[in-house]
Amino acid sequence: MKRVLPAFWLIILLTLPLWLRDQYILHILITTGIFIIAAMSLNLLLGYTGQLSLGHVAFFGIGAYVSALTTLGFDVELLGGFRVVHEPWPAVTGFFIAIVIAGLSGYVIGKLSFKVRGAYFVIVTISFAEVTRLVALNWVELTQGPLALTNIPPFTLGFPGLGDYTFWDKTAYYYLVAIVGLVAYVVISRLVNSRIGRAMIALKENESLASSVGIDVTHYLVLAAVVSAAIAGGAGSLYAHYIKIIDPDIFLFIYTVTMVIMVITGGKGSLAGPVVGGLIFGFLPVIVRPFAAPAVQWILYGGLTILVVFVLPRGIVPTVQGWIASRAQSKGAPAGLIWAGNSEPGDAKR
Amino acid sequence: MRQYASKTALAAIVLAAGLATGAGAQETIKVGVIQPLTGAFAASGNYVANGAKIAADEINAKGGVLGKKLELVIEDNKSNPTEAAAVAEKLIVRDKVPVMMGAWGSGFTLAIMPKLMEYKVPMLVETSSAGKITTSGNPYIFRISPPSSVEAVAFAKIVDKLKIGKADFLVVNNDWGRGAADDFGKMFKEHNIKVGLVETMDPPAQDMSAQLAKIKASDADTLIITTAVEQLTLIFKQAAALGLKKRIITTGGSQNPDQLIEQAGAAANDTTHITFFTPWNPNVSADPAMAKAFIDEWKKRGYPFAGLTESFRGYDGIRTIAAAINKAGKAEPEAIRAAFWQIELPGMNGTIKFNKAGPAGQESGQSNPGIYLIKIENGKVVLPSA
Amino acid sequence: MDQFLQHLVNAAVLGGTYALLGIGLTLIFGIMRVVNFTHGELYAFGAYTVYLIAAALGLNFFFGLVVAVVAGMLLGAMIEITLLRPMRQADIDTVMLVMIGAWIVMQNTELLVWGGVAKAIVTPFPDAPLVIGPVSISWLRVFVLAAALLLILGAYVLIHRTKLGKAMRATFQDPDAAALMGVHIKAIHTATFAIGSGLAAAAGALLGPVFLVTPTMGDLASLKAFAIVILGGLGNITGATIGAFILALVEELGAGYVSSGYRDAMGFLIIIVVLLFKPTGLFARAERVG
Repeated sequence: MKRVLPAFWLIILLTLPLWLRDQYILHILITTGIFIIAAMSLNLLLGYTGQLSLGHVAFFGIGAYVSALTTLGFDVELLGGFRVVHEPWPAVTGFFIAIVIAGLSGYVIGKLSFKVRGAYFVIVTISFAEVTRLVALNWVELTQGPLALTNIPPFTLGFPGLGDYTFWDKTAYYYLVAIVGLVAYVVISRLVNSRIGRAMIALKENESLASSVGIDVTHYLVLAAVVSAAIAGGAGSLYAHYIKIIDPDIFLFIYTVTMVIMVITGGKGSLAGPVVGGLIFGFLPVIVRPFAAPAVQWILYGGLTILVVFVLPRGIVPTVQGWIASRAQSKGAPAGLIWAGNSEPGDAKR
Repeated sequence: MRQYASKTALAAIVLAAGLATGAGAQETIKVGVIQPLTGAFAASGNYVANGAKIAADEINAKGGVLGKKLELVIEDNKSNPTEAAAVAEKLIVRDKVPVMMGAWGSGFTLAIMPKLMEYKVPMLVETSSAGKITTSGNPYIFRISPPSSVEAVAFAKIVDKLKIGKADFLVVNNDWGRGAADDFGKMFKEHNIKVGLVETMDPPAQDMSAQLAKIKASDADTLIITTAVEQLTLIFKQAAALGLKKRIITTGGSQNPDQLIEQAGAAANDTTHITFFTPWNPNVSADPAMAKAFIDEWKKRGYPFAGLTESFRGYDGIRTIAAAINKAGKAEPEAIRAAFWQIELPGMNGTIKFNKAGPAGQESGQSNPGIYLIKIENGKVVLPSA
Repeated sequence: MDQFLQHLVNAAVLGGTYALLGIGLTLIFGIMRVVNFTHGELYAFGAYTVYLIAAALGLNFFFGLVVAVVAGMLLGAMIEITLLRPMRQADIDTVMLVMIGAWIVMQNTELLVWGGVAKAIVTPFPDAPLVIGPVSISWLRVFVLAAALLLILGAYVLIHRTKLGKAMRATFQDPDAAALMGVHIKAIHTATFAIGSGLAAAAGALLGPVFLVTPTMGDLASLKAFAIVILGGLGNITGATIGAFILALVEELGAGYVSSGYRDAMGFLIIIVVLLFKPTGLFARAERVG
């Protein structure tokens, strides 16, 4: 059963557009999928290394802007009179550059921020995201500020001999997001299950102990930050080329909050957690919209968040996994069970 | 006999039901309306939506469009561009509207524009004033509200009378505000008016005393302000607290003078405003009878008087769309789009007729309304004597 | 020079109210170690309460201020008892998540009740400003500064001169020893959160009439409060007060002489710079980081 379940979900994931004809739901799936990728990357920092990064949307936004600017081209004058002109490049190149630059910013922020821990780190990460937003808003020459970067072209892949294919169609974009999501999932799972991952979990559990046995704490934290930021940047690029318009509101704290809620309710520190959390909070607004005013919807999410923390503190996925594991244990009871108490087997029949 | 009767009755009921639903399904032409009904701009969005409803009811009372009733499908963009794009998608894909009106804020309208290209559905822009909207090469955009370039041109006709020597700008830091500073600045230079400081403020900013202190110390005689009513209230109060004595002229069409008087009190006195509709004096409207009828209906429905400065756009917008549908002869996106270029009808502030704007071959439509200069004196809105 | 003096006066008024926010949060974040996302909402709550009493019900403005502070304290106590007390053993990010949930619920309840449109509060102060040489300041702002300073003094006296204050400091330095000495730990936690929240509500009640009351007004206030707490050092009231005035000054001078658009970024830049170079804040005594 354990082997069958992931394969089952994989089949559903890959064949979805074939039997789901509703374009609107497909659209929701695509944007939800992009946010799930970002949430998975946040999980790496939040769940596995235990660092409360509340500025995660900064990496997402940086990826989006870098990708958009790479494909649109820009012309800015820097301090000292240097003029930087960039010609438009293909969208796919933008995607990879976005990943690199986002990863780099993860490195810089990681190196700077990990001098502080815990609550201070929270504040630094929030501040970083806010400063990024204000830069995007005010550096109008580069980012168009609140005018937004518009007409961002979609991805175009060139197949030798077959010609070009442009991702206008929703079905095609769905597959693109699904594939990138799968790649991200595999990367994260390989990282987490490797020696590096174990070191990360060790320092989450007990940092001073971990460093006393020789684990270079800062090194692993920075590594986690880089990978996490790079993946988030990739998700941002996907977002930019799908929605085709990017404005500084993408850096708003509320998007980080949404990702955090996805991760923690789904189950931080578990691979499937962000996926489950993402699906719930991606579709909840759509389901609730016809019935409740937006303010009421948000009150529901807030209440749900608090409820999950009180009732399912580890998140949905770990709790369900634990529940399944304990059921499996009790079902397998007859073989080799140590009887507790004084009753003999067969007592009940009397 | 009973069986025969019941079968006949059943058939009759089914037939009647079929006719009713069938007829009902063909009876309406849907028009999508996207406005901020919640969030920071909820007040404005609701004014526009309610103005739209008055127009729809009026049109339906006169027989509707192409013999069918006009049905407004109103969606909330939550004062957010991503949400705006999402509801536009829903309206087009799910509700299959052949035409839309929206989306109040320029950011929201810009976010929807790629969808219009993708699905080839036209949209009437009733409030947004970013220049980019009509210069991006999107042939599905038809705008009745003026961008600041059009506003500046209209203002140029009366600016000499005001005898401005040097003007400072205090604008909200977005396309609307910066665009206004650019366009008015250009126009001023053509009229030998010097341009001094250009200060900006973030849209949610509440403390402008730093910028105002700077402006107070400058040598300009006039201050041009472009922002919405909440920030205007704060600016007036803070300017009064600083003892700022310059002449203040506001632009942009989102001033809502009645709300200014109510919330800024005495600080709003002696301020001048460029507006696009004067509900305080419908006689100077392009069509006084229509203006009076609209104002009366608005009051009858119990809506706040202050909302008239924005709701007229919803009213004009729906009437324009109805005219286009009538001209097109069918409720189909491409036909309606072509029809927009051919219509001409009286609006609240001038004739509505679309001129080409933007890159050749992919022009958007822009209509050029008139403007009115009003002043607040002793807590009342007055039209300055010529 | 004139401009500079005007900026100084503006900064002083803002600094006073920022200090209330900062002191309130340094008690909660600094001493209780709760990443309090609801601090901004208490600020907004204070403002809306004054709006309710003074504008909607038309009662006395000063009565409204008093009600706002008291109501803020009660609300804070309620939050502590229902949400924080059961979570006392949980780790910091779980508590943070609960506070995020509470923040979302509070802000949207405010939105639901009052609507998204900004509200103005009319005050009994004269419109004409007090003019001293080149500097103008409205009477309302004079009152706000005076009230803020009074409350700051009151907070200082409470923490450092009263038995309650001593019990608070003892509880958070060494809870076990304090319990052994007969201190009611649970009550102290509630009282600390209530006082911190009351101060935030006071800040909102004083600033609400100066600007406008909106449901999202708390967000920026919250972030600035965190900046002040970090600047001044966790748990350090004097530090928070000085930090608040520094932030207000940097904002005001930055907006006046550098760039008005980046005004609100100043606070965040301060946070980042301070935390990078002096993580314990400018004034903290030896304090373990994190």
